Amino acid sequence: MNGLLENTTATIRSTILYITIILFASCNATRVIKPLEKGEKQLSAGLGGPGIIYAGAPIPVPLKSISYAQGIDSNVTLSVGLHATSLAFGVLQSDISAGIRAYQSKTDRFGITATPGVHFLYGVHEYKFRSYPQLDALTWWQYSENKHHLVYGGVGTWFELLKKKAHGQIQSNELMPWITLGHQFNMERWSYMTEFKYLGFQHESALSVVDFVSPADRGTVGFYFGVSRRFGK
Amino acid sequence: MRTVLFIALVILFSSCLRLDSFPYNPDSSIESYGFDDYDGEVEIEVGPEYAIADSLIHPLTFLSDPTNEKKTIHGVYLGEIANIATDTIILYCHGNRDHLDFYWPRIKLLANVGGKNRYGVLAMDYRGFGLSEGPANEEGLYEDVDACILWLNKMGLTEDRLVIYGFSLGSAPATELTANPRTLQPSKLMLESCFASDDVFVEDASGLSLPGSYFTSLQINNGDEIKKIEEPFFWIHGVDDSFIRIDTHGETVFGNYKGTYSEAHRIEGGEHGDVPTIMGYPEYLDAVYQFVLR
Repeated sequence: MNGLLENTTATIRSTILYITIILFASCNATRVIKPLEKGEKQLSAGLGGPGIIYAGAPIPVPLKSISYAQGIDSNVTLSVGLHATSLAFGVLQSDISAGIRAYQSKTDRFGITATPGVHFLYGVHEYKFRSYPQLDALTWWQYSENKHHLVYGGVGTWFELLKKKAHGQIQSNELMPWITLGHQFNMERWSYMTEFKYLGFQHESALSVVDFVSPADRGTVGFYFGVSRRFGK
Repeated sequence: MRTVLFIALVILFSSCLRLDSFPYNPDSSIESYGFDDYDGEVEIEVGPEYAIADSLIHPLTFLSDPTNEKKTIHGVYLGEIANIATDTIILYCHGNRDHLDFYWPRIKLLANVGGKNRYGVLAMDYRGFGLSEGPANEEGLYEDVDACILWLNKMGLTEDRLVIYGFSLGSAPATELTANPRTLQPSKLMLESCFASDDVFVEDASGLSLPGSYFTSLQINNGDEIKKIEEPFFWIHGVDDSFIRIDTHGETVFGNYKGTYSEAHRIEGGEHGDVPTIMGYPEYLDAVYQFVLR
């Protein structure tokens, strides 16, 4: 009987696989790891996302976003992003953030970046708007002699502004936090990034309608890949 | 940059990716209904004590939405058709899986409410499910169930003897046709493992207040429609339902009911599809019977 029930539930869940595409469409790889120099510009494209269990195997939900960043001065980099997956559903999702150099060692080997920002979503089908402020803090370390390799890690969260959910229910989930760990390979103009995120670890996956790749049945893990090109300096 | 902007705007305003089919998981590959001879997967299993005599199993077809799409809908009636003119009938709206055979044990079980064949039971496959024609869609749910009500009405059923029972996806047509009746106003509403709306599905999975309309154009909203209903309401839900959560979906629907009478059955240990099993078939049948008797 249990096997029968599991099969049934698994099939039901698979029918709403596609919902997951949008559930975490909000998430993206880190926009600013190490702030750009003043006047320096950067175009980036990202791929990847949270992992879900589908047909018994973990797969990442493919989310795509593009972003543009510019160094306002040597301490602040402004970044704007557009999310292509959301756009395909008629949801204009963009984000704007400021990567602030909170600390940098004199040898340029080690630093801390704080990135406040906000995500905006606007659905063209029922004209519904949502916004989620974001705060991200990470530390980075250029560990190789030629500074081509950089590892970084940090924490961040989205903030839920609405106090009520659908049908007037109380919104008790005020944060959507994550832990980030990543690696960036930097060439003169190009950078390649691989990032791991553990998202929403306060959220019980066991009560979710989809099977996320989820340590301890909480939240989900995501894998992201990004490529960037710097220019203008 | 202009090209990127242009492409983005074109995608935005032409974007038609909608997940409207996510509630449906039909199987239309069968060539006939097996009922007791069906050897595929079924949602629950019931013993031979709940068997229904072959002479009381009547496969039927209905013409749904005769003025527009004209879809042939398949169903099955359990009981004496002649009794429709005089007795209470339970109209069963099944969930989102496969076809009638998958739910056949549940249908048989309901034909044992108050004793074997005490009440007639009618169940149908919505369009796109089993042998019923056409693609599954929201308006089709309502049209197809109402086609069954129209048939029952022609067989002599009156509003005071129509009890509508919706399980899972079936809670949508059951609630809609009780809140906004077309052919007959059901006299009682029964919902098992019902969902509130696509908004709640999205919120449950994301943990954020993202609207359902970001992903679907579905207008199913049992959480709001239930507010219109005055008729007596029976609600049953598994406490451990991991697909349609009791706290966010079920309790919302139950809490929003403002009618004349309601009763709630929260089944400890019950998952989405096994509530009658976990509750125990005699207890489940008795609970349904006592409500129908009211």
